[in-house]
Amino acid sequence: MDLDDALKTYIIESRELLEQMEDALLRIEQAQDDPEIINAIFRAAHTIKGSAGLFGLEYIVAFTHVAESVLDKVRSNELNIDPELVALLLESRDHIGTLVEHAAQGDEPDADSEQQGAELIGKLNTYLGHKAEQTAAKGGMPVEHAPQIEREGGHTVATDNWHISLRFGKDVLRNGMDPLSFVRYLGTFGQIIQIVTVVESVPPLSQLDAESCHLGFEISFQSEADKATIEGAFEFVRDDCVIHIMPPHSKVAEYLDLIRDLPEQEMRLGEMLVKCGTLTQDELEKALQKQVDEQRPIGEVLLEEKVVRPEVVAAALDKQKQVKESKSAESTLIRVDAEKLDQLINLIGELTIASAGTALVAQRAGISELQEAASTLSRLVEEVRDSALTLRMVQIGGTFNRFQRVVRDVSKELGKDIELLISGAETELDKTVVEKIGDPLTHLVRNSMDHGIEPAEVRLANGKPAKGTLRLNAYHDSGSIVIEVGDDGGGLKKEKILQKAIEKGLVAADANLTDKEIFNLIFEAGFSTADTVSNLSGRGVGMDVVRRNINALRGTIDIESEPGVGTTMRIRLPLTLAIIDGFLVSVGSSSFVIPLDLVVECIELSEEDKHAAEERNYLSLRGQVLPYMRLRELFDVKGEQVRRENVVVVQYGGARAGLVVDTLQGEFQTVIKPMGRIFSHVNGIGGSTILGSGEVALILDVPRLVQLVSTQVEKNGLELA
Amino acid sequence: MAQQEKLKHATAHFALDGEMTIYRAAELKEILQPHIDHASVIEIDLSKVSEIDSAGLQVLISAKLEAMIRDKQLHFVGHSKPVLEMLDLCDLGGFFGDQVVIFPHGTH
Amino acid sequence: MGALVKTETQVALTQAAEIQQYLTFALGSEMFAVGTLSVKEIIEYGQLTEVPMMPDFIRGVINLRGAVVPVIDLSARFGRRATEITRRTCIVIIEVPSGDEQQDIGVVVDAVSEVLEIPAGEIEPPPAFGAKIRTDFIHGMGKVDGKFVILLDVGKVLSVEEISTLASVASQGAAGQ
Repeated sequence: MDLDDALKTYIIESRELLEQMEDALLRIEQAQDDPEIINAIFRAAHTIKGSAGLFGLEYIVAFTHVAESVLDKVRSNELNIDPELVALLLESRDHIGTLVEHAAQGDEPDADSEQQGAELIGKLNTYLGHKAEQTAAKGGMPVEHAPQIEREGGHTVATDNWHISLRFGKDVLRNGMDPLSFVRYLGTFGQIIQIVTVVESVPPLSQLDAESCHLGFEISFQSEADKATIEGAFEFVRDDCVIHIMPPHSKVAEYLDLIRDLPEQEMRLGEMLVKCGTLTQDELEKALQKQVDEQRPIGEVLLEEKVVRPEVVAAALDKQKQVKESKSAESTLIRVDAEKLDQLINLIGELTIASAGTALVAQRAGISELQEAASTLSRLVEEVRDSALTLRMVQIGGTFNRFQRVVRDVSKELGKDIELLISGAETELDKTVVEKIGDPLTHLVRNSMDHGIEPAEVRLANGKPAKGTLRLNAYHDSGSIVIEVGDDGGGLKKEKILQKAIEKGLVAADANLTDKEIFNLIFEAGFSTADTVSNLSGRGVGMDVVRRNINALRGTIDIESEPGVGTTMRIRLPLTLAIIDGFLVSVGSSSFVIPLDLVVECIELSEEDKHAAEERNYLSLRGQVLPYMRLRELFDVKGEQVRRENVVVVQYGGARAGLVVDTLQGEFQTVIKPMGRIFSHVNGIGGSTILGSGEVALILDVPRLVQLVSTQVEKNGLELA
Repeated sequence: MAQQEKLKHATAHFALDGEMTIYRAAELKEILQPHIDHASVIEIDLSKVSEIDSAGLQVLISAKLEAMIRDKQLHFVGHSKPVLEMLDLCDLGGFFGDQVVIFPHGTH
Repeated sequence: MGALVKTETQVALTQAAEIQQYLTFALGSEMFAVGTLSVKEIIEYGQLTEVPMMPDFIRGVINLRGAVVPVIDLSARFGRRATEITRRTCIVIIEVPSGDEQQDIGVVVDAVSEVLEIPAGEIEPPPAFGAKIRTDFIHGMGKVDGKFVILLDVGKVLSVEEISTLASVASQGAAGQ
């Protein structure tokens, strides 16, 4: 990995960390005292700073350092989290983001960034200023407070305190960590009874590399916390440092172990332990004596003496398990360039087509062994395809979480109190789709907050809670992913929409429209129902662009709205944009592919139905009305009509329709090929694919066809015979 | 070697100010080193130190050790609040304040 | 569907600006030409898939080594009769700018004739009137051996924007019955 690659990785990781940081900052307002969240924020800032140092990105190091210092105070409970601080930290996060983008561009921060950074540092420093006095007041722990140490006999030591032995690694300072901050942090969940700073390894000034760390501490620590918590305090330096944490009443043998483990002279270390109050002089002497007597490995001694207390074992095992789990999770994840994945998917697409071609040739050749081999090949290719496609699947949660910030900021802007509820965050969909759905979602969310959710007074007057709720939900439904943006606002006002649409000449004044059609008018170009145009509506795109973007992803959007109760915008998207299971049909000499997920069943068009259908525009499917459409007619396909036609029953978004075709050719792995902009607005055709023969087949846009069929029904009514 | 003799008894007074942190650690070392080289009594004013971290502390410890090894006197005076706080936290008051105690001999 | 002629775009790129190379081809009885810079390759006419509900000049799509490429009937685009397919019918693959991207479009021609170098001095502006096709389609009139060759402005003739709009209108009309 050369430096450019490493820097690229740093940028990517930093962006992820910033996202996590934002997420955590938004959560912290609700979960004030969760140390895990604070740790997550600190860790993110810390890692960004540390790595920035490696790349010599001084401007990131310098700014992040200040933010991190404030976070450190929060972590050690010297500062309380309040909305003001959260806002400042969010701004600081954004600024770090700006700086990281500068790094990505390979330039230095411009004057604006510098100015903003300076302002933020000013604000952050006021928090740091406050802190100094508080801590000074706290001061070091007076020795008198140390409890009387008495021997209780046996092989355990008398003290009730934990003993923590720390030797920091050489690079700790360079990695941006301050050993003292860890010591300070201990003070937040216990009391430092006595501390000995180990200076033995510090070289005299003339030999000092001032950026290497040579410090160590021996600490006697009183706390109700368990070992995992204490160990957790050193999570960030665990890999760099030698850390020994001994619970109260540890066996003397353990101290032996400690003494043998550490680089300092035995006597010297023993003295430190005594000074800490961890060992009495007597205990120390006995321990050292014992060590001389016993030539066996210390591990054996420990085992024999059953040195460790059960709760310590439990805690240790638990912690170990966690560490192990997180380690194993880390080791099974590989960061892959998305471009490489795309290339793989493309190749698999070609492979799928080639395999279909092979199967075709095998069939023509009429050699049964070859056919068998070809079918094995097809099956394997299909499996490879499926697993390759899952590689690109990502959870939508990441996208959803970004809206915590949007909702927070927009609420403030609008002066509304709005809560965001997220569900279905674990729902997976294709990365390409995820990337493209962000903008339309943002607009829908803003729109709901702006126009959907009423001001608090109105809500209260209508007997609703003052706080509005915005819901983001996702789930899978028959080969599609459905994403809902819902609000508990006033609902869409049909009359108002209709009136506006008539004013704008979008519909005729006497048009007879269904509710759905009226709602859908808001997706027409240049439509806005808000009486006053707030600055939010002015941002970016209109609802027409939202729909266009969603359509471009082969998706649809529809609206469900109830006056006074709320509105739900439902986006339906295909799971993947690359390869689908298709169902191949033909009409005349043309072949068409229908996405298999949308096919309910296939039936033969009986003579009886055929005659009946000529008089009315629906079929009777087991007594049920099924509106239908002849592809031959719709697509104006030339050629003689076949005697026996077939009906493919398709379903989309709750509506069913029959598509009449000539012949059914069966399932077909369909590699979706883009058709380019020329065909982007073509009715009824959703894309194209290449058949085994090399011929291009068109993929039907089933949602559009179902819509066409049902519009016909709505327009003409069902002409019941 | 009169010059050397004179220098040996020379006294250096100077102040460190601002941040004593990892960002300035190397610089601090360069500031301190010549004074220790050229004076036998060194008095360093810490009243203007606004911030001190482990790296800063380590430079102070290291300077003190250097002085002790070379049999020179090195004192810190006018400790600012952050410095005091840090000394308290690490219980290093003894180490710096009493030049005789090179290695404390425990609490007998 | 083998490539008959693979133009060396690199060579073309290094050509001095004043002498440009043009690929000439026949359409009915007339000769047309397009700059070789925009020509990617020339293939035999074959295996074309019609796209329903399209205007006449969009013949359909072909599989060009795994990519789906639209094919335009140039004659129909000029408002004439659709090209009849013969053994000499070819599809010229032309690269057209579309937004920030390049779109490949196939053009059906009766026959490809040759690559000519036409100096800038031998090119006259399009006639103000009297031309048999839309004047904005014409880049200029090249004089070759005392005859005129119509140099096409591919950006206009194959405007993705315009074709896309025409396609959209045609399909809305067909489906909206």
